Amino acid sequence: MSLRSADRLGGRAAIAGIGATEFSKDSGRSELKLAVEAVRAAIADAGLRPADVDGLVTFTMDTSPEITVAQAAGIGELSFFSRVHYGGGAACATVQQAAMAVATGVAEVVVCYRAFNERSGRRFGAGVQHREPSAEGAALGVNLPAGLLTPASWVAVAAQRYLHAYHLDATVFGHVAVADRRHAARNPAAYFYGKPITLADHAASRWIVEPLRLLDCCQETDGGQALVVTSAERARDLAHAPAVVRAAAQGAGRRQEQMTSFYRDADDLVMLPEMGVVARQLWRTSGLGSADIDVAVLYDHFTPYVLMQLEEFGFCGRGEGGAFVAEDRLPFNTHGGQLGEAYLHGMNGIAEAVRQLRGESVNQVPGAAHVLVTAGAGVPTSGLLLGADGADGADG
Amino acid sequence: MDELYDRLKAYEGRPAAIAAEGKDPVNSPMIRHWCEAMGHPVPEDGSAPATMLQVWTMSGLAGHGAARAGAYDELLALLDESGCASVVATDCEQEYVRVLRPGERITFDAVIESVSTRKTTALGTGYFVTTRTDIRVGGGELVGTHRFRILKYEPAERQAKAATKAPPGARRPRPVVNRDNAGYWQGIEEHRLLIQRCGGCGALRLPWLPGCNGCGGQEWDTVPAAGGGAVFSYVVMHHPPFPAFDPPYAVALVELAEGVRVLGNVIGVPYEKVRVGMPVALEFQRVDGEFTVPVFRAEEG
Amino acid sequence: MATGTAAGTAEVGDELPPLRIEVSRTLIVAGAVATRDYQDVHHDAEAARAKGSPDIFMNILTTNGLVGRYMAECFGVGVVLRSVRIRLGVPSYPGDELVLTGRVTAVEGDVVSVEVTGTNSLGSHVTGAVTAAMPGPVLGEEGGGVR
Repeated sequence: MSLRSADRLGGRAAIAGIGATEFSKDSGRSELKLAVEAVRAAIADAGLRPADVDGLVTFTMDTSPEITVAQAAGIGELSFFSRVHYGGGAACATVQQAAMAVATGVAEVVVCYRAFNERSGRRFGAGVQHREPSAEGAALGVNLPAGLLTPASWVAVAAQRYLHAYHLDATVFGHVAVADRRHAARNPAAYFYGKPITLADHAASRWIVEPLRLLDCCQETDGGQALVVTSAERARDLAHAPAVVRAAAQGAGRRQEQMTSFYRDADDLVMLPEMGVVARQLWRTSGLGSADIDVAVLYDHFTPYVLMQLEEFGFCGRGEGGAFVAEDRLPFNTHGGQLGEAYLHGMNGIAEAVRQLRGESVNQVPGAAHVLVTAGAGVPTSGLLLGADGADGADG
Repeated sequence: MDELYDRLKAYEGRPAAIAAEGKDPVNSPMIRHWCEAMGHPVPEDGSAPATMLQVWTMSGLAGHGAARAGAYDELLALLDESGCASVVATDCEQEYVRVLRPGERITFDAVIESVSTRKTTALGTGYFVTTRTDIRVGGGELVGTHRFRILKYEPAERQAKAATKAPPGARRPRPVVNRDNAGYWQGIEEHRLLIQRCGGCGALRLPWLPGCNGCGGQEWDTVPAAGGGAVFSYVVMHHPPFPAFDPPYAVALVELAEGVRVLGNVIGVPYEKVRVGMPVALEFQRVDGEFTVPVFRAEEG
Repeated sequence: MATGTAAGTAEVGDELPPLRIEVSRTLIVAGAVATRDYQDVHHDAEAARAKGSPDIFMNILTTNGLVGRYMAECFGVGVVLRSVRIRLGVPSYPGDELVLTGRVTAVEGDVVSVEVTGTNSLGSHVTGAVTAAMPGPVLGEEGGGVR
């Protein structure tokens, strides 16, 4: 990836296997155990053996080290192991890291994983009240004494400014929740299977941090998700049709902060400049545009950022995200999203993109050939453009 | 020692009201309404219950207008400025010469009788101010005397809350202080919000960082914020609750007049009245008796 | 309510029957308005909270009036108050109960001195001293001062 020119990663790697544990509120086992189960499931899904794996990638936030997962999963020597920072912003970047390793021959089969007991263990929504005096701690720490302590509160600052800038009210966020839950209602793996909601339910749900209501905030989940990445060539010989990495990108904006980018240019608060960096790269490298996308999986820890992502990728104009979603103009989060299926820090969304390309989604979009996936919004982030094998887009 | 006390003490003996007139004559409807509210039996002879005395001097919603003499307002303003902005009535001592009857019109004179030295109370620290009001009818017949004491104080807000609401030891999250931003927090402690100014391009920046994003310049000095600003965005915290805070409460991202932004709590208005664009003025609030944070007082508008 | 006391029968040390007052939100607001006191902390819960109070609370003029009522209930509506001196302690919030009690501290002719205390669940809300003269006609009548 590069900010200035197309990269040469597109088309060289593919996701060949996906595997997950059940998604629950109390897994009853360790985070390491969840990671190992997910990794082994993904390897089996690809039709590979643990001995074939020579690379592992996860999040800096994950508590299960690559070497320990390898030990417990029956994986031997590793030539590549890596972690990506910034919480959910890491999701798509784990696949990017794996794809780069595969494309350069640093590794042949890399498994990306994320597993946690986020509901029964350490709940991110419980907030932070203390940070170390590192540069990272100081940047977030300036916001703590005023009582702005939770992810929801940090997102709400941008959400409020968004409503103000475009003269909207908080019902625009409800459209996202309704769409996610509609998909989840048909997904047996989703926590909210069989439980759709209406706009009225959204409007009646309690305030968490105004202008965010309960139904604007994703659920909390125990579980694990893993993805097997290998070369596109090798993937063609494996169990499933490959989900080709047509483009992968990371992005950080100018004067970006981890989750509290309150101090950059005024207009940036109603946008996601870091996602703009990702979008520019994905479109350029793949040669595709928003009109080519059949399904999007947009990171939805909080509904307002889904609207801003649609705007950042050019699916609609600024401030038009709510109307765009209300009109149902693009299938997105067909697994139910993190609001409806599970909160796996974005990794379950990548798996859904693979299912769409395989034709196996519970909310299948017929003939889906190009799927956009994004990672954590409002943080330094990443994105993927996955394509069905042979659907090579404008430059193919 | 206490310069403020010396200034406050100078107000002792100065008038708080001169020949002020009651808004209404003593009258049966107000008597009956007062009795109804208090559950007080209505005097059979139609007279006003004695403990209504102060009511006849009250200015109500319309305010006191010009009736109050300047000295009392000055004294209160002086206390406001010094941080003793909260007020609570503590004592009421009334002597009744005779009962008041419907139709009688009262006039009253009030004097600032005394100002205490700085006192620490459960509510906070401040000064007791005692006024004495003589209530007269007709040509000057004294019918009652009303001595009123208020405490003007700086709230020991968090300590008081900790006592009633938060578990012991619940403290506000501390700012994260390191070598790059210690000067900022030192300034806050001294009631100055210092904005970094790039030595290269002159750009102002907050939060503090060792170099400039605009030009990469590593030299800098600081300029104190003038104090004006407007709410750029805000949230109202409801859930989850934290021991040191009492939701719902508003947190605003304020854009200072200098063009940089800073977070702080909004004071002076209920949380639901905070709006984007609302003008605010910088103040400083002591927290847990230990450290100071910038807060923003909503301006009349 | 126990029977009242007439000054003619009052003796130093007499305990006055307690008066229990349910402190409703309505009492606080009605008391504030009837005393022409429009400070927001006595009628606007949100404003009170913004100023650091958990809820609205009773104004001192109402407390003063309730002490007057206590005297009228104990000694009869015709009682002539000479002085009422009160000091406030803990606030009086809605939903609490205020219990006024009194003790006769002096009797001099027809003038009785009473020490009054009002407590609620938080502690002592008001302490005070009242002097009152018994009106002639009431004295000596059977059940004088009984409400």
